Amino acid sequence: MNREPILQVKDLKTYFYTEDGIVKAVDGVSFELYQGETLGIVGESGSGKSVTSLTIMRLLDEKARIEGGEVIFKGKELLKLSEEEMRKIRGNDIAMIFQEPMVALNPVYTIGDQIMEAIILHQKVKESEARKIAIDLLRKVGIPEPEKRVDQYPHQLSGGMRQRAMIAMALSCRPQILIADEPTTALDVTIQAQILELMKELQREYGMALIMITHDMGVIAETADRVAVMYAGKVVEYGTVDEIFKKPKHPYTYALLSSIPRLDVEKQELKSIPGTVPDPLNFPPGCRFHPRCDFAKEECKNIDPELVEVSPGHYTACPFYKVLEGVEVK
Amino acid sequence: MTAYIIRRLLILPLILLGVTFIIFGMMQLLGPDKLLAAYVNPNVFDKLSDEELEALKDKYGLNDPLVVRYGKWLNGVLHGDLGWSVVGKTYVSDALMQRIPHTAELALYAIFPVVGVGIWLGIKAAVNRDKFIDHAIRIFAVIGWSFPDFVFGLFVLMIFYSMLGWLPPGNFSNWVEDIIKSSDFHYITHILSLDALLNGRFDIFWDVIRHLIGPIITISWLWWAYLLRITRSSMLEVLNKEYIRTARAKGLDEKVVINKHAKRNALIPVTTVGGAMIINLFAGTVIVEVIFNRVGLGSFVAQAATQLDYAAIMGGALFYSSILVIGNLIIDILYATIDPRIRLG
Repeated sequence: MNREPILQVKDLKTYFYTEDGIVKAVDGVSFELYQGETLGIVGESGSGKSVTSLTIMRLLDEKARIEGGEVIFKGKELLKLSEEEMRKIRGNDIAMIFQEPMVALNPVYTIGDQIMEAIILHQKVKESEARKIAIDLLRKVGIPEPEKRVDQYPHQLSGGMRQRAMIAMALSCRPQILIADEPTTALDVTIQAQILELMKELQREYGMALIMITHDMGVIAETADRVAVMYAGKVVEYGTVDEIFKKPKHPYTYALLSSIPRLDVEKQELKSIPGTVPDPLNFPPGCRFHPRCDFAKEECKNIDPELVEVSPGHYTACPFYKVLEGVEVK
Repeated sequence: MTAYIIRRLLILPLILLGVTFIIFGMMQLLGPDKLLAAYVNPNVFDKLSDEELEALKDKYGLNDPLVVRYGKWLNGVLHGDLGWSVVGKTYVSDALMQRIPHTAELALYAIFPVVGVGIWLGIKAAVNRDKFIDHAIRIFAVIGWSFPDFVFGLFVLMIFYSMLGWLPPGNFSNWVEDIIKSSDFHYITHILSLDALLNGRFDIFWDVIRHLIGPIITISWLWWAYLLRITRSSMLEVLNKEYIRTARAKGLDEKVVINKHAKRNALIPVTTVGGAMIINLFAGTVIVEVIFNRVGLGSFVAQAATQLDYAAIMGGALFYSSILVIGNLIIDILYATIDPRIRLG
């Protein structure tokens, strides 16, 4: 990893100003993304992973404000670009696919129309040319009879087909970064595997970097090279997928891994993390995970843990990570 | 799309037939004597001999079984025999034909200001949510919403006619009447403003328009309130949809996002309300006609109702139902044009 990262996120802070108070959805998130790699961002719902991706794309609604931090894409500070310059990057350099293909496609326009839109916009080609590209893309993402499908509306396609069409749309301008926000959560398990396989294949072919946002450790294991584990708006652990899965250095990661159902252990009770994700309006003092942490100590209420490098490329926000040494992931 | 339209067109006669059943059925409730009286000018009716009465009964099938009577009635309706209107002092068909062009004229000119502007305001408010323009439009809507139409119409009349003298009541000025009744004036469309243009009489055209502005302002203001609130909430809902985020994530300009991706979806529910409003315009607007002293269908049928002018009421009902059925057909076709899920679903 001596290369220059293609995307650098530094101390990103995105707050929502609601009537009830300030929601610190993203509170000091940092990570790097290198060309061709897959970074998994994992966490429970409400941990700020989607907001992080929307902040990178600058697609937040008016209630949200980016309070600080930097997003550097190939030397450009995205948060300082004008809206017009940002539009040239969206869909062209950085593309995104969303969780629910049912609602992420516009129901009143054909699939082809929606794919061609970005091609015509960014690549300045004629409509007939864009149509050809769209049909090729649909074929590439494994949609049968692409010449026919291109003129169909989203409701005429199955869920898996729609997500394939979404992928085709996102890839239409050969982006350097693809952000996939829970791309398989809404799909059947069998379709999930197909979509993940397709994304890996296309990533290799296009050489693009992928940010895979998910709450599913299984998806991370399947796709990611490196992982950022998020909890309550912060990255709590960050490292290679091997390290994270085999030697987790944060009690939260440990708890997440323990709650994956396993086939190799007989009649094991399904583990869950006690308690719920804290109310973002009212985070607990100190380490935000301490009320749910099996290893919490008295000091945890008073410290504001920072990410520390514990081994090359492996960071944790738990100063007491050593308690996990020798503890096996159950 | 064509298949969808053909399917809908094939159902149309069936619905209209159903309408005639209901209206015919309602007329039977009058009983044979009143029913017969509704067909004839009362001045003539009182002087009819027994033989002539019998002949009439025979003509309208009052001595026949119900099916035959319906057949005779429908035949009459199709040939324009809707009976005699006491209020209109003429045959119902003539009374309606005199008023329909006036109502249609007001409706035609009101469609754009009422529906077009109402939708435009709603979209403006939604796109500028919680900004000054949104608050201004919403305050304006609340005022419109809480005004009874007769009060608002009277205000318009007081200010623009009594005080400023700009917008007179009625359908046209007195001097116009002589001209349009002379043989030099040719009726082509029967819509006075259009005929005035076709006859090259721009002065008459302007006079007619001047008489239309007051009613249009009144209807617009009051109906905007409703329409813009529906448009605003529909647009706000659509702007929160994920496909709007997808469109933005593609790098599309915000204008394209709103005009192409959001508007078309937001207009689906609005079509129903806007369509119903246009149908209402063509059916006549009673209060506005009364306040602005206009000849029109609404006030005619309202008057017929208060004076138990059965023939006119039934004739009016038949006209309203037909407008409603045809109007709804047009709305359905519009729906299908906007939303592929309807035409292909």
